[in-house]
Amino acid sequence: MWIALLITHALLAFLLLGAITHQTLSVWAPARSKPGTFLARVRAVPSTSYVSAIIVLYIATAAMGGIIYTNYRITARFALEQGHFWKTFGAFELKEHFIAIGLGLLPAYWYFWTSPLTEGSARTRTMLTTVLAFVVWWAFLVGHLTNNIRGLGT
Amino acid sequence: MSLQRALPVFVISLAIAYPIIYVLAVEYNWALFTYGPATGQLGLLRTPAAVGPTMYWYGWIATAALGGAALAALATLVPEGISRRIRPELAWIVPMIAVFVLCGLLRDYFLR
Repeated sequence: MWIALLITHALLAFLLLGAITHQTLSVWAPARSKPGTFLARVRAVPSTSYVSAIIVLYIATAAMGGIIYTNYRITARFALEQGHFWKTFGAFELKEHFIAIGLGLLPAYWYFWTSPLTEGSARTRTMLTTVLAFVVWWAFLVGHLTNNIRGLGT
Repeated sequence: MSLQRALPVFVISLAIAYPIIYVLAVEYNWALFTYGPATGQLGLLRTPAAVGPTMYWYGWIATAALGGAALAALATLVPEGISRRIRPELAWIVPMIAVFVLCGLLRDYFLR
């Protein structure tokens, strides 16, 4: 069961990573003309349409990660400690803290993306998206790295 | 205060208060509850698990969420002239500072 949960968690995280990356690129470097290249099409997405999906995926991924964390705590974490993988151990601890910080950002993220855009709120919207993107990228990479060292069921 | 005016004050105040309370909860272990993953045992506040490790992370999140929501609700009650001084930029600046503080708290893992 834990392996099925972990794979589902990873798939949700992958969807979230794609959505937040599209949105971050579209706010920092919006496509100005008709997109021709692959990179220009990546930046040309209607970023507002990603908001609900990002919030739902973030909560679902975090909730599933929170369930798997109980198993990690009594299995994989001991292996990391015994193997002296301290940097990975610390990076995973940070991942959990960053995810928690991201949860607290979601109401503001939702508000600034769904309220009418003003000049003052544009920067806040961009930076909230960027902080959330940093959290999601960190969590994805560190989760992947930790699973490579001592994955569930290995 | 109408909902239209209270909502931005609430979400910005929550985005400011939540990370501050979370960092304090981590540093001083203000867990609202604990969980023992080996036995499935839940405990109030800092109750240690009878067997195996004790998890505080869920309790820290609960502390930050409840504390942040309470402070944000209080912020909606202050006069509009004061609540307007709460800068929207703080909604991302404070969480970003919290990220750096958390990195500092866990730096020993990266210096071994």
